[in-house]
Amino acid sequence: MLAYTLRRIAQLVPVLLVLSMAVFAFVEALPGSIVDTLIGTEGGDIEEARAILTKEYGLDRPVHERYVLWLGRALQGDFGKSLVTRRPISTELLSRIPATVYLASVGIVLSMLIAVPLGTFAAVRRNSAVDYTAQVTSLAGISIPEFWFAILCVLLFSLYLGWLPSSGYVSPFEDFWGSLQFLILPAAAIGFRQAAFTTRLTRSSMLDELSKEYVDTARALGHSERKVIFKYTLRNAMIPTITISGLQLANLLGGTVVLESIFAWPGIGRAIFEAILQRDYPLIQAGVLVLGFIVVVMNLLVDLTYRLLNPRVKFA
Amino acid sequence: MIDEAIKKGPERTRRNFLKATTALAGAAVAGLPATGPAVADARKRNPKRGGTLRFGTRDDSVGLDTHRNIIYFVSHPLTGITGGLVDFDDKMEPKPAIAESWDASADLKTWTFKLKRGAEFHNGETIDAQAVKWNIERIKDPKMSHAFTRSVVSGVERVTVDDKYTVRFHLKEPDVALDINLIYYPVNLMAPGAADKADTEPVNCGPFKFKSWRRLDRCELVRFENFYETDAEGNSLPYLDGLIGLPKKEDRVRLTALRTGELDLIDNVAYADAPAFKKDHGKTFETWPVPQVGTAMMFFNLKNGLLSDKDNPDAHLLRQAIAHAIDREGIHQAVFNGIGSIANGFYSAASPWHPKDIEPSSKFDPDKAKALRKKAKGGDERLTIIANDTFPYMHQSGELVHAMLKDAGFNVVLEILPSPVMLDKQTKGDFNIDSTANSYRLDPDGWFGRNILSSAPENRRRIGYKNEKADQIILAARQERDRAKRRQMYADVETLVNRDLPMLYTHYVPLLMAGNRARVKGYLPSFSGPWSYTGAGMRRTWIEG
Repeated sequence: MLAYTLRRIAQLVPVLLVLSMAVFAFVEALPGSIVDTLIGTEGGDIEEARAILTKEYGLDRPVHERYVLWLGRALQGDFGKSLVTRRPISTELLSRIPATVYLASVGIVLSMLIAVPLGTFAAVRRNSAVDYTAQVTSLAGISIPEFWFAILCVLLFSLYLGWLPSSGYVSPFEDFWGSLQFLILPAAAIGFRQAAFTTRLTRSSMLDELSKEYVDTARALGHSERKVIFKYTLRNAMIPTITISGLQLANLLGGTVVLESIFAWPGIGRAIFEAILQRDYPLIQAGVLVLGFIVVVMNLLVDLTYRLLNPRVKFA
Repeated sequence: MIDEAIKKGPERTRRNFLKATTALAGAAVAGLPATGPAVADARKRNPKRGGTLRFGTRDDSVGLDTHRNIIYFVSHPLTGITGGLVDFDDKMEPKPAIAESWDASADLKTWTFKLKRGAEFHNGETIDAQAVKWNIERIKDPKMSHAFTRSVVSGVERVTVDDKYTVRFHLKEPDVALDINLIYYPVNLMAPGAADKADTEPVNCGPFKFKSWRRLDRCELVRFENFYETDAEGNSLPYLDGLIGLPKKEDRVRLTALRTGELDLIDNVAYADAPAFKKDHGKTFETWPVPQVGTAMMFFNLKNGLLSDKDNPDAHLLRQAIAHAIDREGIHQAVFNGIGSIANGFYSAASPWHPKDIEPSSKFDPDKAKALRKKAKGGDERLTIIANDTFPYMHQSGELVHAMLKDAGFNVVLEILPSPVMLDKQTKGDFNIDSTANSYRLDPDGWFGRNILSSAPENRRRIGYKNEKADQIILAARQERDRAKRRQMYADVETLVNRDLPMLYTHYVPLLMAGNRARVKGYLPSFSGPWSYTGAGMRRTWIEG
């Protein structure tokens, strides 16, 4: 397992290298220039200002030269400064990434807490009221757009009931209980939708496992139904669920821009989106690269989890 | 630690959290009725002093260096840290700020500013003539400043120091509007001794001091105890202990946060929400119409293409057809929800520069529009409208004009674009019509001298309009001290603009702010927001409760 882990970590290098090249090329292809945005338009010395800023930001150099320079610095942990705020990229990212990781992971955990029991019971009690309820609820969860559900939550729990703040963010490191109040609504909006997918997946995986011979054997050996379900069947059924949840978590890290806007959540998705609009090249490059790194690591962790769930799983 | 003020929304304690989550779970199961939000601390405060105001804004500044970035009147909480030589009042007239008095030489080429004694930067540095000189020279350097700010001092040949508190600006050309332009553009003063920290810990001279900033998330400012301004009773201003800026881009997110008690004051109430909000919640929340923010318009590309007289002999006819096809009343109702008024010139009736006698531009007449389009060369060719995606009214007006032109038989496409792409297309002339707006210029030279004057870089870059008579009037107005005469001169230019149609003014852009009546006291917005406003604005606001 150690050899496998090390091999997978080694594979991160080419993946991130290709990603960094792709991001650089993408940013290069964007129409419009950061320099024009920053220098303004109302002045008689625009050309002089453009030349100065272009040189200062190194944008007068060929793209491959800029890429190599950037990569060299990035390998030393220096992503440079934001061209817009002129503050270190690391500061910009460090203030955003924890917020996104916090929201996405709690959202996923919440979805698992809902989906695994619901999907399991729906499969065990197939065609019962529990099963129908789970199916209808999960269908609703998939059908209802996340942003609409989020707005309904805000209206109900913030505006009418006044229980929770409607938007904003407090770092859990500053005030843990306070941060939870701000977290509940966005995490619930994420969790509800993700739970809808995961419930259906868990149910079908469980049904698949329940139809296998080892389950009949376990029952024939006289094991209790509880042991058959939770010790043998569910562990096997969880492998696809863990896989999908891991991918969902990876998607959420950069893909909650709409929810971040609704809840004014200062996440990395919004930061990259704003950076794209403003052509803040170093922030886009660093943000996407860091997200890519997190996604690759997430995938590795998901793969390693298989072994914990089922020791018979062999890593090639 | 979190500032106490942020806790004025739902209280955030462990006990309260458990209570709320238990109630949530219980209500979800049993459908029980809910309890309301936590009751705010009702203790009395000394009126006219104290409190931290939570200000929800649509936008945020892009950086902290006030010379390099436009930290601007509207929607930027960081504006609270800025200050300059001159302020303005509710009549949009220049008033003393760091400069206690000033005057111009007879030829309007030398301006002398006498500075207040005892005025300080936030770090205790004295604001003296040397500091002002250092600031102006830094702003004049293209490496250090934004073109918008630099444009107002680009006409300054040199700055000299007469004595510790007297500074003299020597101009290349006469300029009657230097004083008011110093605040509009705005020439903010920063402490020379803290210039190396301008991007991280700015030291300025506004009513509030910088504490912290996370862009598009939160900024915290605290009262500057040695701010120069006092109220009529001699109490130092500002009254507030501090200010927390909480940018929330979506208009309804801000409005909801105001209603739930998480914010005290917001800007940019959506036009569509305003009537119902005022009707349903007027007892709890005050709504302030800000006199004027800017003017919306359609720019026509006269540099090249179908609407350019250089490329199309019937370009003026086509522009007339477009003007007749645009129903400005429709824009007034559909985009601005009946709020504000239709524009015929750049300055609204709220402005001292509102012209009295101008020839209006073409009226809405779809039949005439169709007839002119058919008659004009190129009437069937494709027109491109571009609109910025940042401001809803710009692209909404663009969408409406697109539909109106389609109705008149034009072959027209609309592109809604982010700012960098807009800039690129404008500069390259890759458009025919630009649905845009321009922020209100305190002095009309700021508008006419930059967007109508044919030699102005911005006109050359974006529109390409040239009218020799208009040029003569604009240049003469720069040297005219008599305000009534100047106003008439600009009215004459507006008439030329409405005839030539390099642009079509559509609407004055209103701005609505809203605040919690019970908490926000003493607040009155200035012409474009809450800031550099002597006699009201954020400096005279305090929090009660």
